[in-house]
Amino acid sequence: MSEKKIHVDQKYIDGLLQNNSFIIQAIYDKFAPKVINYIKKNGGDSDKAQDVIQETLVTIYNQASQKKLQLTCPFDAYFFLLCKRKWLNELKKNTHNEVTINDEVLSIDDDAIELSFETSLFGEKQTLFNEMFQKLGTACKDLLKATFKIKSMEEVANSLNVSYAYARKKKSLCIGKLTQLVQESPKFNQLKY
Amino acid sequence: MKDQDYILFEEFLSGNLSKDANNSFENSLKNEDDFKQAFETYKKLSRLLAHKFENEDKQASFQTNLKNISDTYFNKKEPTKKVIRFKPWQYAMAASIAIFIGIYWYSLFSIPTYGDFANFNEISLTVRGGENELLTKAENSFNNKNFTEAETYFTQLLSIESENQEFKLYKAISGIELNKFTEAEVLLKQISKGNSVFKSSANWYLALSKLKQKDYKTCSEILKRIPSDAGDYKNAQKLLKKL
Repeated sequence: MSEKKIHVDQKYIDGLLQNNSFIIQAIYDKFAPKVINYIKKNGGDSDKAQDVIQETLVTIYNQASQKKLQLTCPFDAYFFLLCKRKWLNELKKNTHNEVTINDEVLSIDDDAIELSFETSLFGEKQTLFNEMFQKLGTACKDLLKATFKIKSMEEVANSLNVSYAYARKKKSLCIGKLTQLVQESPKFNQLKY
Repeated sequence: MKDQDYILFEEFLSGNLSKDANNSFENSLKNEDDFKQAFETYKKLSRLLAHKFENEDKQASFQTNLKNISDTYFNKKEPTKKVIRFKPWQYAMAASIAIFIGIYWYSLFSIPTYGDFANFNEISLTVRGGENELLTKAENSFNNKNFTEAETYFTQLLSIESENQEFKLYKAISGIELNKFTEAEVLLKQISKGNSVFKSSANWYLALSKLKQKDYKTCSEILKRIPSDAGDYKNAQKLLKKL
């Protein structure tokens, strides 16, 4: 991956990561119409397209901020594939009928397919993580939040009015609970978490 | 996994285990698949949690910004129709302004015609109390724009006074009016070569003759020869500009 040449469209990834409004606006202006068109042609509408695009951009942002996301293909193809895949998953979720898709011929290189696949997978893992985190009890959520925000376990213990030993133990058990929830999820093996 | 295992995971990650406990932990990772898988998941989730809370603010501001841009973009797709209604008098005003501008541009750029410039003052040939009948007839017919008659009378007058430059000029003007350009121009050229007070007028009418024949190039050349002190200089310049 690192041997491959970074595409000039990396600027869109960097722009998202920097929360650069100008770049985000440009992404909408340049790349959204194609996605909207595709979704409208395949059983969706403008509102659905808005959600798909927005969620896709959040996923890209998250991946870029957690891992180094290096674009080796045009953003256009990468972004379109991501949105398309997200929309197809959406359709599968909501309909039991066979979905007929007007597949569009796209000149897509292997990099775009590979990269968009990685990002999709990342997005699904992220979703699973968020869902399971929400299942934790309030005490666990608060403790974990304090732990990772404050960092010093002494301060965390003080702020939560518990002993240092208890705070440490509780942290392990909360992450343990989360681990258990994630592992028990049917998606766990599917996503090769 | 038991609670004790998760506590062990945390101790291992923080580097708080004794040497023996560490070795035993690494052994378990090598030999127990379940233990290994649970530990790997625990480690990943710890990283995700760390990232989640450390970047919470940034993430929130990104999502807010993204939502705003997205909403703006998608609302643009169904633009709110802004119609500015004109009151009737505003339409009338706009129309009259358009007409004035039209006329102005038309007058500025339209091709000038002979009729625009051939404005003669009334001529006065008769001396008060004079009794020359022919002269009176010529004068009247010219002033009444009866150029056919006027031309005849001036021809007659010239047969009496062949070198009267004034008669020649009026005969020429009548000729131009009657489209007898060749004759008229011969007369005008004669006048312009002389030294009479009608010299510059002759050039002016020669130019008008060319204008009437739509010979704009020659017309311009003649106009340029009209000196600044001549009575028709202003008119000549005005016509030149339009050409």
